[in-house]
Amino acid sequence: MRVLVIDPDPARAALVSEGLAGVDPLEVRHSPVFDETLVKAFAPDVVVVAADSPDRDTLESLREATQTNTRPVVMFVDRSEPGLAEEAVRAGVAAYVVDGLAPGRVRAVLEVALTRFALMHQLRQDLEKAQADLASRKTVEKAKALLMKERGLEEDAAYKLLRKLSMDTGRPLGAVAADLLAFAGVLKGDA
Amino acid sequence: MAAGLTLGFLPLNDAAPLIVARDKGFFAAEGLDVTLRREASWATLRDKVAVGALDGAQLLAPLVLATSLGVGGEQTPMTAPMALNRNGAAVTLSRRLGEVAAGDAAGLARLIARRREEGASQLTFAVVFPYSIHNYLLRDWMAEAGIHPDRDVRLTVAPPARMTELLADGVIEGFCAGEPWNAAAVAWGAGKVAARSSSLAPDALDKVFAVTRAWGERRPEELAALLRTLMQAAAWAEAPENRVELASLLARRDNLDVAPDLISRGLTDLVFHGETTNVPTAPRVSALVESMARWGHVPSRDAALATGAEVFREDLLTAAG
Repeated sequence: MRVLVIDPDPARAALVSEGLAGVDPLEVRHSPVFDETLVKAFAPDVVVVAADSPDRDTLESLREATQTNTRPVVMFVDRSEPGLAEEAVRAGVAAYVVDGLAPGRVRAVLEVALTRFALMHQLRQDLEKAQADLASRKTVEKAKALLMKERGLEEDAAYKLLRKLSMDTGRPLGAVAADLLAFAGVLKGDA
Repeated sequence: MAAGLTLGFLPLNDAAPLIVARDKGFFAAEGLDVTLRREASWATLRDKVAVGALDGAQLLAPLVLATSLGVGGEQTPMTAPMALNRNGAAVTLSRRLGEVAAGDAAGLARLIARRREEGASQLTFAVVFPYSIHNYLLRDWMAEAGIHPDRDVRLTVAPPARMTELLADGVIEGFCAGEPWNAAAVAWGAGKVAARSSSLAPDALDKVFAVTRAWGERRPEELAALLRTLMQAAAWAEAPENRVELASLLARRDNLDVAPDLISRGLTDLVFHGETTNVPTAPRVSALVESMARWGHVPSRDAALATGAEVFREDLLTAAG
């Protein structure tokens, strides 16, 4: 696991490293402020950022920009806010570690963050796949309608023809249908 | 009234209504026991309000709407009945850019076209948060001159207090942020103001006072009392005869911790009270939704407008008196 700790306080950064002892493989880097070159070169699995670091907003914007490469962000809160860690985790705000916490709990919190990250990543991929499937089904419907109209086929025969094309070329049905529609567009002079 | 309240703010001139309400005793006069906590980022303010570590906070109007819609993070319905300021945001360009590009958007567009032909790297600009009018102001300002903010330049996010340093070090060539950070960049000789929100979008909703909807429904009397006091504080901050004292209040170490003369320079453009300054009127909310939609920040205009009407409760401000 590659962990980047962004915290102006070296003592707290050391606490994170200590709490992660035993994780194998493990690489921890510490930076007092957000450094874009470092983030790019190191490509961390987790960025741990102190809640009192002004760099949180920058990290937040990265989460926005790099949808596919989202890294969970774990934050520290000071001791004056008991219960905030648990509340925040429940609310889905990555995870918080209360300052002054025993190093033993750091690993557990990071694991929660990573699990949650993996889950969100999976959900996002599922959603993208569902959207792609839906788009592909619509394309097939359109291609079928085109074949019915242009070749005077019944719906069933049009579908069989598409499937045959798909099997003959070894390409997915959606791709064959998309090609067909594209060619029809060219022949009609759309493109 | 009930136990103490904790409100959060960021070190910016437009936090004035909150800071004045405490330091000039407006909260106390209304029987409110309020602690202010300075935070370092909008994300932390938002999260702390969402999970109840703060009762309320100064927040970016677009961020409040995004959070209520569940855009860019977990969904938390919020209530924001009062705007804290009008104006005070500006586009500042590096001095270097001012010299080669005439310091305006058209000059910048020419420079970018020339650099593209030469195969030079893209120029980098910074804003304070994705969901902020600063982001939209800079984007609109560029787009107006034919610069595409996602293709022709690199846009990044940086904390306002670090903008001057980034500009001086040549990491960024310009930024859009609230005061006193434009005044600071100018005073340091790092940059020059190219455009101000007072001319770009004088009616735009910038900072608002926000609580979660659940908090507002659970504690309507305290919310009304907070709004009443913040309005008194905003009126005090607006009065010309109070501006010198205001600058020294904001300058204090536990407030902005910035020199009073920088704060003063950043105050000239800021409006805290009068006319509809504090009122999140329907047209202002529509304009906000329009900006967010233009840059792909809301999935649907209709949904955002409907949610906006539930969030920006000008009726609560009116009722508070």
